[in-house]
Amino acid sequence: MPDPNSPDEVALLIDGRPVVVRKGTMVLQAAEKLGIVVPHYCYHPGLSIAGNCRMCLVEIEKAPKLQIGCATPATQGMVVKTTTPRVQSTREGIMEFLLINHPLDCPICDQAGECRLQEYSASYGTGQSRFVEEKIHHEKRDPIGARVMFDGERCIKCTRCVRFCDEVSKTHELDLFERGGHAIIGAFPGRPLDNPYSGNTVDICPVGALTWTPFRFRARVWFLKDTPSVCAGCARGCNVNVAVYDGRIHRITPRFNGEVNSHWMCDFGRQIHEPLYARARLDRPLVNQAPASSTGGGAEGPARATVGEALDLAAGRLRAVTSRFGPDSLAAIVSARLTLEDLHLAKKVLAGVLGAARLVVPAHEQGQDDALLIRKDKTPNAKGAMLLGLGAPDPQGVAGLSGDILAGRLRGLVVVGEDPLGDGLMSEEALRALEALVVIDSWRSPTLEAAHAALPACGYGEYEGVFVSFAGRAQRARQAVRPRGLADPPWLILRELGRRFGLSEAYPSASAVFDEVVSQVPAFAGLSYRALGETGRPTTGA
Amino acid sequence: MAYEPLLLRNVHREGSRSIDVYMANGGYQGLRRALKEMAPEAMVEEVKSSGLRGRGGAGFSTGMKWSFLPPGLEKPRYLCVNADESEPGTFKDRVLIEQDPHLVLEGTIISAWAIQCHTAFFYIRGEFQAGFRIFGQAIEEARARGFLGKNILGSGFDLDIILYRGAGAYICGEETALLESLEGKRGLPRIKPPFPAIVGLYGCPTIINNVETLANVTLIAERGAAWFASIGRPKNTGPKLFCLSGHVKRPGVYEAPLGTPLLTLLNEHAGGMLHRDRPLKACVPGGSSMKVLPADRCDVLMDFDSLAAAGTMLGSAGGMVMDSSTCMVAALLNLAEFYEHESCGQCTPCREGTGWFTRILRRLEGGQGRPEDPDLLLDVARKVEGNTICPFGEAVAWPVQSYVTEFRSEFDAHVMRKACPLAG
Repeated sequence: MPDPNSPDEVALLIDGRPVVVRKGTMVLQAAEKLGIVVPHYCYHPGLSIAGNCRMCLVEIEKAPKLQIGCATPATQGMVVKTTTPRVQSTREGIMEFLLINHPLDCPICDQAGECRLQEYSASYGTGQSRFVEEKIHHEKRDPIGARVMFDGERCIKCTRCVRFCDEVSKTHELDLFERGGHAIIGAFPGRPLDNPYSGNTVDICPVGALTWTPFRFRARVWFLKDTPSVCAGCARGCNVNVAVYDGRIHRITPRFNGEVNSHWMCDFGRQIHEPLYARARLDRPLVNQAPASSTGGGAEGPARATVGEALDLAAGRLRAVTSRFGPDSLAAIVSARLTLEDLHLAKKVLAGVLGAARLVVPAHEQGQDDALLIRKDKTPNAKGAMLLGLGAPDPQGVAGLSGDILAGRLRGLVVVGEDPLGDGLMSEEALRALEALVVIDSWRSPTLEAAHAALPACGYGEYEGVFVSFAGRAQRARQAVRPRGLADPPWLILRELGRRFGLSEAYPSASAVFDEVVSQVPAFAGLSYRALGETGRPTTGA
Repeated sequence: MAYEPLLLRNVHREGSRSIDVYMANGGYQGLRRALKEMAPEAMVEEVKSSGLRGRGGAGFSTGMKWSFLPPGLEKPRYLCVNADESEPGTFKDRVLIEQDPHLVLEGTIISAWAIQCHTAFFYIRGEFQAGFRIFGQAIEEARARGFLGKNILGSGFDLDIILYRGAGAYICGEETALLESLEGKRGLPRIKPPFPAIVGLYGCPTIINNVETLANVTLIAERGAAWFASIGRPKNTGPKLFCLSGHVKRPGVYEAPLGTPLLTLLNEHAGGMLHRDRPLKACVPGGSSMKVLPADRCDVLMDFDSLAAAGTMLGSAGGMVMDSSTCMVAALLNLAEFYEHESCGQCTPCREGTGWFTRILRRLEGGQGRPEDPDLLLDVARKVEGNTICPFGEAVAWPVQSYVTEFRSEFDAHVMRKACPLAG
């Protein structure tokens, strides 16, 4: 509890209500603590203070001038008033100033609906302008970066974007150019806003000056429904909102989590939904009784089947292998892109029930870890796989399997969420030599072509589950859209496969699978979907 | 009684810029006296008791400003000389820099010693090309004579001065914008607090003083606080340079004690109105940013407190005299255009307000004014004033408020006649 007598804390009155805050807290933040909104544009909790928009001017007893709430430290006994006629009139003035040169092109502006100018105009403006002259004109479509479009006329020069590039991404592409009313944000010549975090400038732009090029004119934001989730683009586990309109993910934006990503995320993560709509999906089961062998011969090609038929075929093939050659002849490749629930049932069904001797988790690394968020491990759940006892991602594991296939020691393979052929980890010759190849995946892939049975799996955002970040934080990814076609969550497909081998547990839901993980793996002790909430919880011993 | 010039005592001498001429006329005796006979703290007290108030515009006590430096010398302390004289109607520092640079330099060295600064910066306006050259020469001369560098006059005090030329922005005369510019950044004023005395140049305690202020420090070091305080009026002590421009016979820089009547400066020093048949209409006593006085209120004393009582400010003592031929709308438009051009663009009210003023005034002057425009000007000015990061907001709001208020009928006449009533 805050202690007003502590030397580190100060007590003040805001609009007649007492509040105790740590020394150094700004008036605006102290007001926030009371739920009192002090409107602001340039202030952002993740950036340094600029104090330039002047929207947060408030009355402070004994100060002759109004003071900016964002840069005025709360002091002991301070009396702050945020709703006096003087404050209101000043806010009206600032709103009017901000709009005299603003194009008011809300009908064609992507920011409309989540624009501070609109919101504050409604709350603090007069609803009219006394400005009758020609506005100052600027470039309205300036591709300031590969993924960010700049509209110089909408900009209010709050410099949030400049400060982001200086202080967070530390890439320094942007600054304020020119002076006075002609002042304009811009990128330095030859240094476009192409840093891997450029999208954050769009998020923090309080107006429609910076827009995310891939999202421009895609959907009015008031039609978007946000689902709190976790990014699956790398091992960081940035908390995100997945925005859906008309059954389709249109935008992924960061959601604050002080333990993981603060206010930010990378541009790569913002685009992880795009393959769902750009890449060929496996959206219905395929079966192939006799895939063409590498030595040629009667190729029938994959044929459509029901999920049940495909599972029956898969089970039959796998059973034939294990009964003829023993469980050592069966292996699986499972992906660290899968959820904890998927991986748990992969282990339980494939290793436990079917008796597969080896479960290999391939590594997917690219680039280097950076100082901010990006991890070279491009899978969201390698840590989860490790905690489940599947071992660390193994760059050599798949190659080992290839050798065993070609040597005749390995006859059956289940691939979940991976494409070893497409990724160049396994040869077509090896795949064609298998007597049972079962693939569970979201995509059409080269590996699929050699499969006896392929089952369509949900993609990102189409089902729920838990990812464990590289730092060991368990977080929930949520379902935001319906699965494509006949796709099912991989854990559910594995459950159905397991049933054909005598698996008895019901697993009615992903959370039921998670509860079993909790009961079996000490690192997850005490956790549940409810406990993970929207921001996750650390696993123990991580 | 003829007034003996103190600040301008050398400017008319042959070779006034050279250190030899300066020293032949008593130069660097103040520095010698200070270093030999006083302690730095005593010098701060001396300046405090002299009553010297800053000559840059705000008129704050110089000694008091110095004493705001935090105790302790863990961080270096800096002295920045504000030689970015850019206020329209103001050209006094330029005379000192170009004609008697050693008077300024001596005061700078004494002040640096008083506040125990070992690196001083002289930030000179970009357009002052001659001043830059001349002052650079003065620094070299002083260094050669041992007034700068290590162990000055055997006192153990070290000081170097870095001469830095600005790039020509008016805003860099604002002390925190000056610091930003000096640090190599865009000249944008900082949010205060913290004040520069606590967090200034490169994050270190910094004092920023005007050129004329430091010239006065030389005088105080030479002849003492009591003598200095005997010049001028109570709380408004010392000699002062007054700039007079506009419709006067002899525009120029004149020295007189603080508290000299404006009309004395106008009629005696500047030789009276330019045209016999065009009487005084208005005068801005303190540089373009200060409020204008109509002729009937120009019988005022030119000092900080008298002008404050008259509803304006001494500012930089840039007296701009306007006669009856002056259109006050056009005059204000001229000023507004300057402020629009010089607004740094950082904060909303100034960035947007300055451009709005010019657009309204341009319409008014061009006969396109609306009856509500004069009130609109006042209301926009009210919303700029006091709401900006730096005093630039007041610098544009005050002229707008005072021109419109004092000469309201002229603004209304522009609206009614749909033209400038003074235009032929």
